[in-house]
Amino acid sequence: MSEKRAESAAPKPRGIRQTMSDLHIWAGLLLGWMLYAMFLTGTVSYFKNEISQWARPELAHQASVPDPADVAQRVAGELGRLAAGSSQWSIGLPSARENTAEAFWRLASAQPGQRRFGQATFDPATGHKVTARDTTGGEFFYRFHFQFHYMPVLWGRWLAGLAAMFMLVAIVSGVITHKKIFTDFFTFRWAKGQRSWLDAHNALSVFGLPFHLMITYTGLVTLMALYMPYGERLAFKTPQERQQLTRELNAFIQPGKPSGRAAELAPVADMVRQAQALWGRDNIARVTITLPGDAASRVAVARGEEGRASMSPQYLLFEGSSGRLLETHDSVGPAAETRGVMYALHLGRFGDTVTRWLYFLVSLAGTAMVGTGLVMWTVKRRRKLPDPARPHLGFRLVERLNIATIAGLSIAMATFLWSNRLLPGTLAQRGEWEIHAFFIAWALALAHAVLRPPRRAWIELLWVGAAMLALLPVLNMLTTDRPLWRSIAEGDWVFAGMDLVLWALAALHVKLALRTARHKAPVPRGAQSPRTKAPAPAGERTVPSVPRTTFDATHGATPSQDALR
Amino acid sequence: MSHLAIFLPSLLGFSALALAMERHQESVFDRALPASLTRVLRNLGWAALLAALAVAVETQGWGLGLVSYSGHTSASAGLVFGLLIAWQRRRSAR
Repeated sequence: MSEKRAESAAPKPRGIRQTMSDLHIWAGLLLGWMLYAMFLTGTVSYFKNEISQWARPELAHQASVPDPADVAQRVAGELGRLAAGSSQWSIGLPSARENTAEAFWRLASAQPGQRRFGQATFDPATGHKVTARDTTGGEFFYRFHFQFHYMPVLWGRWLAGLAAMFMLVAIVSGVITHKKIFTDFFTFRWAKGQRSWLDAHNALSVFGLPFHLMITYTGLVTLMALYMPYGERLAFKTPQERQQLTRELNAFIQPGKPSGRAAELAPVADMVRQAQALWGRDNIARVTITLPGDAASRVAVARGEEGRASMSPQYLLFEGSSGRLLETHDSVGPAAETRGVMYALHLGRFGDTVTRWLYFLVSLAGTAMVGTGLVMWTVKRRRKLPDPARPHLGFRLVERLNIATIAGLSIAMATFLWSNRLLPGTLAQRGEWEIHAFFIAWALALAHAVLRPPRRAWIELLWVGAAMLALLPVLNMLTTDRPLWRSIAEGDWVFAGMDLVLWALAALHVKLALRTARHKAPVPRGAQSPRTKAPAPAGERTVPSVPRTTFDATHGATPSQDALR
Repeated sequence: MSHLAIFLPSLLGFSALALAMERHQESVFDRALPASLTRVLRNLGWAALLAALAVAVETQGWGLGLVSYSGHTSASAGLVFGLLIAWQRRRSAR
């Protein structure tokens, strides 16, 4: 859009920027709390495997990755005993980020409504089942960020999709509202009060903008088959066509018709080695075996996610009885590949450690963007309240929900990790109880936020969060034999990294708590000059020696624009 | 260490671009730089960003290269941004 047009539109009662500003404010607010939770839990999910390793301290640190070919052979042998008669085994192999092999298999005797798959974790060195505490680990945060909990999975995913659509609207309308968002890329003034909230919100939005746009859009793409199934339904009608579609999008092969003739499974290790020759030794993700022991058996060896920015399946298909290579599936059509690339961009699993940290940091900035936006809604409005000491219901609701969401979620997530260390191993459904603890802590934080004066609630909950995060490494030291110094000495950067990041996050909470405590309550100010809305922010905007300011040149007069800054 | 070879030019690029802006010249050097130097800084900034892109694509291919380029430019822009704020705060504190 041209600047000229916008400027000429600005004095009119409702210009495009005005409308977009309102849209940004309300689209951002309405699902903002959900978006904050999705962003934060999604952010930590970039280290989902590492969190899961931390959550099972019984399983030793993996200094080097064992040969996936040998591991696949061992686990397949073990599954021959554990899951004989199953029509489908699927073995996830260890990698640099995963210190165990895991497998699931279709249960032969499953009645409708019963569990259809068995699941177990294996020691890569021996191939035997390992016993560790029952926990969902990093998988919980990952699942929560797109399907929530305590509700049917599909509802959660629809809700997440709705939130993502609101996010897209908020991003686009935010960019339009701040027309100089790109030219003013490095324009930043450090001012006090509400101005710095806006500046922080803008800074976090602008410097992560490509990421925010990408992550929101690709997030929708990951679940597009759920949200928009109509094209697919129209194009693929017969079961064969649907099967072909599944094959195009997924390396997880389905069992065919058993021949009834017994035939021993050829060595799986040899098949994996052929795949390793193509993709590299440690770049094998999964081995799926159908109808083991039958002459019609098939084995699919799937490529890992490392080193290619695409989730499109690549696998070698072997005849199980002979080990003969039947098919090399290494490319998909352009449409499927587009989806595969977007999917991969969202998950970021292809990245090396540096790339993963970049994902984490920029995503954290996105979380802060949503958080500052939510807080700003109240900061802007407080000064305009007729009686700031007794705000109206809507204001109080937003204020309390902000506290409970932002400060409360940190406490809830820390509680999840605390309960991982403290819940007794004998507790029935222990993994579920870790999740219950997460929600109980969150509910308590909400209660606290409702019952205490808002400013006190912010400070107290931030301190609680800081203390819980800071003490987690200590708790880890007391409850496991893997304290920080041992982790560092042994080069175990999964455990050492968790401890150090927890302390960094604790420091962040301390900083926020101190700032909130230092921040003067804006109430007296509103009481002093209840009638002078426009001049007050204008005065604040003017900083000596900086005549040209960020977003103020053209739109300063309308009340709602005022609310944005 | 291809990541460093992407990150450092990005950092240099954004620093140069920031210093090509008058307001930051005033905040860092207390005066506006001559137009010719500003132009050099601006060109240097863009050239450094392009160089970082070239390194990224050369060492990691288009797919991964573009992704890590985006990450490194975001991180270096954020860092330059943060440094400018810290600088301004120190000055206004004095």
